[in-house]
Amino acid sequence: MEVEELNINLIGARILDPIQKLDCVQDLYIRRGKMFFEQPPDDDSKSYRSLNLNDHVIMPGILDLCTHTRVPGTSSTESIFNISQSAAKGGFTAILAMPDTLPQSDNPGTIRYIEDRIKQSSLINIWLTGCLTIKSEGNSIAPLGSLKDAGIIAVSDSPRSCIDSQIFINSVKYAKMFNLPVIEFPQDSYLSKNGNAHVSSFSLKMGLGGLPSIAEEISVQRAISVAKDLDYNIHLSSISSVGSVSLIRDAKKRGIKVTADVTAHHLILNENAIEGYDTNAKLFPPLRGEKDRDSLQNGLLDGTIDAICSAHQPHPSHEKNVEYDKAPAGAIGLETCMSASIQSLSTKTDDPYPVIVQSLSYGPHKILQLPQPAIKKGNLANLTIINNKENWTYHPNTELSEAVNSPLINYDFQSCPVLTIVNGQIIYSK
Amino acid sequence: MKNWKRSSLLGLEDLSKAEIMTILETAESFISQKSNRISEGSLLKGYRIINLFMEPSTRTRVAFEIAAKSLGADVISITGEASSLTKGESLKDTALNVQALGADAIVIRHSSPGSPLLLSKIVDVPVINAGDGAHEHPSQGLLDIFTLRQKLGDVKGKKVTILGDILFSRVARSNLFGLLTLGAQVTLAGPSTLVPLEFEELGAKVTHNLQEALTDADAVMLLRIQHERQSATHFPSLSEYSKMFGLNKSVLDFMKKDASILHPGPINRGVEIESSIADSDKSLILDQVSNGIAVRMAILYLCSNVRKKI
Repeated sequence: MEVEELNINLIGARILDPIQKLDCVQDLYIRRGKMFFEQPPDDDSKSYRSLNLNDHVIMPGILDLCTHTRVPGTSSTESIFNISQSAAKGGFTAILAMPDTLPQSDNPGTIRYIEDRIKQSSLINIWLTGCLTIKSEGNSIAPLGSLKDAGIIAVSDSPRSCIDSQIFINSVKYAKMFNLPVIEFPQDSYLSKNGNAHVSSFSLKMGLGGLPSIAEEISVQRAISVAKDLDYNIHLSSISSVGSVSLIRDAKKRGIKVTADVTAHHLILNENAIEGYDTNAKLFPPLRGEKDRDSLQNGLLDGTIDAICSAHQPHPSHEKNVEYDKAPAGAIGLETCMSASIQSLSTKTDDPYPVIVQSLSYGPHKILQLPQPAIKKGNLANLTIINNKENWTYHPNTELSEAVNSPLINYDFQSCPVLTIVNGQIIYSK
Repeated sequence: MKNWKRSSLLGLEDLSKAEIMTILETAESFISQKSNRISEGSLLKGYRIINLFMEPSTRTRVAFEIAAKSLGADVISITGEASSLTKGESLKDTALNVQALGADAIVIRHSSPGSPLLLSKIVDVPVINAGDGAHEHPSQGLLDIFTLRQKLGDVKGKKVTILGDILFSRVARSNLFGLLTLGAQVTLAGPSTLVPLEFEELGAKVTHNLQEALTDADAVMLLRIQHERQSATHFPSLSEYSKMFGLNKSVLDFMKKDASILHPGPINRGVEIESSIADSDKSLILDQVSNGIAVRMAILYLCSNVRKKI
């Protein structure tokens, strides 16, 4: 896509990139897409735009570890352009697309098709995952070598988990041969069969349930045992229970290679959000109790949990506007992920931004073995810029997508992504 | 009616004591006026009530039909097999069509918890919940409480045990909410797989010991064991259930002499209850059925009346 070269002065923002030992209020100059801390000597600054960014935070570009693009899929309204526009609005410079497409991303042809779409219309970097097993059905290993040749950078059966432990172990062992990161969505499908809500007195009262914490924790424990046995990192996606957090904390203490992420929805909401049978708050894993939410926040602060993701999953409104137990699980989250994460962590720490950079930029890049987008003199700018003092209320943009399935509609936030720069170009500006 | 301002009845959880008493007292007035069918028969004259029964039901549907007809309303029953829902039409579209056909109230039975609430957001006529999944069955809860009060008087402080498949039971939930609001002490009993401890957080006592459940109980409500649904996964067999949790003559030894037995039906004789006990004078099972009509008349009358005023 043809975009003008970016020449801009960012004045007065807090620049935060702890790996580069940067945490200070300082001006940042972007010349022809590259970053400088001082005005280049032969520069004619008159022709450049200056932006006054008091109360803003500039951080290395953030990456979403879990976006269900549904492209290709059954819904004609979702497109790579929509998804990338939504991501850019949420501050994301990159996303990882999940393999639950239709057809499933278990063959090089589908991967190449998606890559073509990305080349044609994406504003951001979109990385691809392939299925770990064929159709993510857990019966046989997907052609991981060919998928890697076609361009995937990780493998996963999200939002499912291979129930047969022998096939799971062999799949991970096979992925290790190609050094492909394995993303496991921990859920014992026998224990969560026909479930629609967290098991608690709250859901019992509503006549719902069937998704107990133990269905996730048994699967987390299996992943930990497999990671130890194979001495290979398994990344646990969308963990949601207090038990999962403590299993992962103990495993890390014992030096086992596991990493984990949590969704922003699970950080800011608990099971009370399904009150009135709100299908927009029907998620998988489900929103759980306040103790679970509290332990997820603590897990992020003490480094047990490595990343936050959006788990963005668009569903057209006619699919969600049905009886609660018949509605598909999942919510859109790209545009609210950053603000919800900041808001949630602000209840636990005065300065949530170092954890935000860690869990939305460093963590995801490291898990996917990608180079960190450092704020460094001469580097192409890949930046996420947040206004730390902007009150706004979330309303999904119906012009972009038919999907408005968010549990955060009409939610008030106190901070907001306002400028997203990818490869030296502004792709979103509020 | 000063204590009744709802045009829909979706469950007992949110009802106040005064609201529950208003329904029960209205039902009482219909029973005492039994001889005066002519004046009752004009209360909802010209009303069109649609029974939308998406799940099999005989007694609840028939009781609602009789209740509506007794009030002079026209009743049309649409059942699951005959409706377009089986042709893939959504509940929303079915509901809008039913409303467009001129329904003045909709009575709904549906397998999805929360579906009456969803329906009430779509249509602007009264919605009466006749059972939604494992959530609530308010008319059954009310008729059970009505029957208990006929026998026990005020239920405040009385001990009521609900025995059986509590986990999947909407009847248990409606009774639990209603009885707690009226001040009764409720014990939930049955196999550990069907009576989760989490119910204690809702104010009930939970036990898996039959003797403990029955000793001191002023009344025992039995629930139908749906072996077709819970077999293998929740208990081994009907005969094992009957041995461990069935009401047979030997358990009468540790029950109060004047304790009553209720059952929402249909009963499985020889499973939840031995045949002779079901037919004994402890049993209020047939009282429940006939009271069910008066209670449902009260519900239809009160909700329609609020609607009239809007």
